[in-house]
Amino acid sequence: MNKPKYNIGTAGWSYKDWAPNFYPKNQSGGFDWLQFYSHYFNCVEVNSTYYSYISPKIVDGWIKKIEDSDDFIFHIKLHKDFTHTRKFDEQNIKAVRYNLELLRKSERLGGLLIQFPYSYSFDGNSLRHIQKLRDIFSDINCFVEVRHSSWNNNRAYEFFKENNLTFCTIDQPKMGQAISFEPIITNDKAYIRFHGRNIEAWKKSLSNFGKPQTYEEQSSRYSYLYTPGELVEIEQKIKSIQQKVKEINVIMNNHPQGDAVANAFELIHLLDEKTKVEMPATIVKAYPRLEEIIVN
Amino acid sequence: MRTIFHLDLDAFFVSVERILDPKLNGKPVIVGGDPMYGRGVVAACSYEARAFGLHSAMPIRTAYKLCPQGIYLHGHGDEYTRYSNSVKNILEQYAPLIEQASIDEFYLDMTGTQKMYGSMFGFAAKLQKEIWDKIGLPISIGIGSNKTIAKIGSDCMKPKGITYIIPGMGKEFLCPMPVETIPGVGNVMKQSLNSRGIYRIGDITKLSSDYFGTAFGKYGIDLWRKANGEGIEYLTIKRTRKSISRETTFGNDITSEEEIKNTLFYLTGKVAQSLRKKGWETSTVDVKLRYTDFQTITRAKTIKPSDDDKVLFETAWDLMKKAHTRRVGVRLIGIGITNFSPLIEQEFLFEDHQIKRKKMLRAVTRVRDRFGYESLMFGRTEEDKKLKGQENYFQV
Repeated sequence: MNKPKYNIGTAGWSYKDWAPNFYPKNQSGGFDWLQFYSHYFNCVEVNSTYYSYISPKIVDGWIKKIEDSDDFIFHIKLHKDFTHTRKFDEQNIKAVRYNLELLRKSERLGGLLIQFPYSYSFDGNSLRHIQKLRDIFSDINCFVEVRHSSWNNNRAYEFFKENNLTFCTIDQPKMGQAISFEPIITNDKAYIRFHGRNIEAWKKSLSNFGKPQTYEEQSSRYSYLYTPGELVEIEQKIKSIQQKVKEINVIMNNHPQGDAVANAFELIHLLDEKTKVEMPATIVKAYPRLEEIIVN
Repeated sequence: MRTIFHLDLDAFFVSVERILDPKLNGKPVIVGGDPMYGRGVVAACSYEARAFGLHSAMPIRTAYKLCPQGIYLHGHGDEYTRYSNSVKNILEQYAPLIEQASIDEFYLDMTGTQKMYGSMFGFAAKLQKEIWDKIGLPISIGIGSNKTIAKIGSDCMKPKGITYIIPGMGKEFLCPMPVETIPGVGNVMKQSLNSRGIYRIGDITKLSSDYFGTAFGKYGIDLWRKANGEGIEYLTIKRTRKSISRETTFGNDITSEEEIKNTLFYLTGKVAQSLRKKGWETSTVDVKLRYTDFQTITRAKTIKPSDDDKVLFETAWDLMKKAHTRRVGVRLIGIGITNFSPLIEQEFLFEDHQIKRKKMLRAVTRVRDRFGYESLMFGRTEEDKKLKGQENYFQV
């Protein structure tokens, strides 16, 4: 098998605190964040679809904004009604499917990210539920993110393989029953999400779970810039699965202040045999170590 | 004849610091401590700093006097480990056998791989290039028929050097070098050899091994063998964990026997838990006790293989009583277990209550594994008031 296609991007693009570190400080009236973002990356993971059933008009707007970026794709995170409360009906399914269809028709759909809560452990009920979702979205690439270590077993992997589901690889602070960063291949795709390794903020966030929090408090657990040494280790892990899949999706979710953007550029550089990367001057100013890898 | 590679990452800590901050390139960089506070020694220094006479293990204060314009860094320990692991990952793709001698040194046994990789010199160049291209770290490589020759070889052409000592030419390669080139020969040994008129490795080879045996014992014979190109040919590979131990230093030195006993009980529980998790039994228990004045006593005892807290604690407490003879404060106590064997089930040999106890211990291990060590505590005595009030307390 040849080298797989890499889709490298971030979880979301709409963060106010990415200016001035990525988006310019002074933006003209016509400046659009997604358009700017799609100039540098070839994919993005949409998380707003997890919180609400967004209007197809909005999705249409995205498609228009990225017209100039030929191979840009969206990965859509499935609404929490399907994964967390697990109460949904035909209307909910229709709402999700409509938007997925819009993206698919314009060849902009990567796949559907189905993320379950930490507490979601491996058992018969869980398998039946995932099977049900697979049937509903049978014609779509499904990336399933389970986070409890009970899923680290061969029966689970077999289930994923039989149902052509991608087992998401996640990197997060090592604590409790959290699944460890170890790529597991169950079909011809890999989907790797990086949540940062800010263990202190992560613990704090767990203890504040359910309490009203500001944006900064909520997102502080993702505040983490991967170090060069960590990125080299990550690069080696990702390259170790290169021969086994056709497509590798790498999503950085350590978004506060633009850490995710800086690390995404660094991973593009490392995974593309250290070729220099095109990036805006803003990010290099904020993260001077990127000077080494910017294309001249 | 074997083919051993010695790989030594050039000024490793400094090289990593330069990846983290490329502005350090070309400057004298010293990792190890802060000269303002005058503490610590040089852990690593760049070649630019070496030009000022600096070297590893030199006190930071001395280094600062010689090179005040140097850039002094505390270092990033975790990053060094990550980079070292990344290098090892690359080596594992090629080498049948690897010994990691330290964070920045590796021995590879490449014997019999010539057919696969062709010229060993060419292969070393490829490895060197791959580590440089992929990780950005410079490395020097020595190739010889044993570890000593390979190590001396890698040191010959630093940085980014490759030295290949042709098989059978080891002795000739070593002869002209000063005696301190041999790994393990420090300043004291060097002076001792020099005082005997021995300056070069060749001077050692002119004398008999008996002379060195008489003068320096076993170490002398080893030295003579190394000088004659007969170093160690086989790598040391760590296969299993050899011991499990726990110790604690008291915040304030203690004198109470009861407190020593309680602490030892707690530490024993911890090592027993680790032992059962691995499915092993131990047949040697040792204890350590350090007094206020740093006098340290150790005692060990061989027992019938066991994984039971009760057996381990009783043995450890007997030993501790023997060790604790002075009436001064105790600073530290510890317990260690060695000589492991896999736990073999032969339940029919046990009485009913022993079978129950084995099952109970297994259940305890599982519960603690899942909910944490503190989730289930053994009580030692009726008087153990500290634990008795807790819900998760029960008698051994």
